[in-house]
Amino acid sequence: MKNNIRVERAIKNITQAELAELISVSRQTINTIESNRYVPSTILALKIARVFGKPVEEIFQLEEGD
Amino acid sequence: MKTRFLFPYWCKYLGIVCFVVHIPIVLFQKQLGFDFSEASKAAGFWGSYHLFYMVTTLLMLTGLVLFAFSKEKIEDEQIAQLRMDSLQWAVYLSYILLIISLALTTNKRDAKDIMHLNVWVPLVIFIVLFRWKMFRNSRYTKEDAI
Repeated sequence: MKNNIRVERAIKNITQAELAELISVSRQTINTIESNRYVPSTILALKIARVFGKPVEEIFQLEEGD
Repeated sequence: MKTRFLFPYWCKYLGIVCFVVHIPIVLFQKQLGFDFSEASKAAGFWGSYHLFYMVTTLLMLTGLVLFAFSKEKIEDEQIAQLRMDSLQWAVYLSYILLIISLALTTNKRDAKDIMHLNVWVPLVIFIVLFRWKMFRNSRYTKEDAI
């Protein structure tokens, strides 16, 4: 699964630490999601989408092989 | 997200204290007046022999358990997953070690010692794996410029 959290963060002009605080997770978790080392749960994905005010599918997309 | 029971964050420090405290007791057992005679072995729960066991082995084990299973400062699902992965690997590794070492041991007394070691080896492997994964995670995050 790929995601464009980094791009969305740049648009909204917030850091990893600020996003982490908004959804009550550690900064490391945001970093591992952005670098595709961790696939978040549905709850976390929905929380991230809510911060950016967009549907989940616009932030997370399935890749071939998923 | 709270998915399972963990000790509060401060228990990590309590665990370290328990572990550290047991070391001088082992080192200075004679000076502290512990007696390992047959009479004290037969004395039961309040006998010196059993008390020594409680303030060393059991204190160390309590310390390790508290340290291993206390919450992180910021607890989240990714840390919970790292913890589960480390636990699974720790069980695999410790059982592989146990099976190999028991297979290579023909002396039954040594086999008993190996079983005694296995009281704390899985916990220590788990702690090392989990701390290593946490360290690697934070190092990646530091390297990654925002």
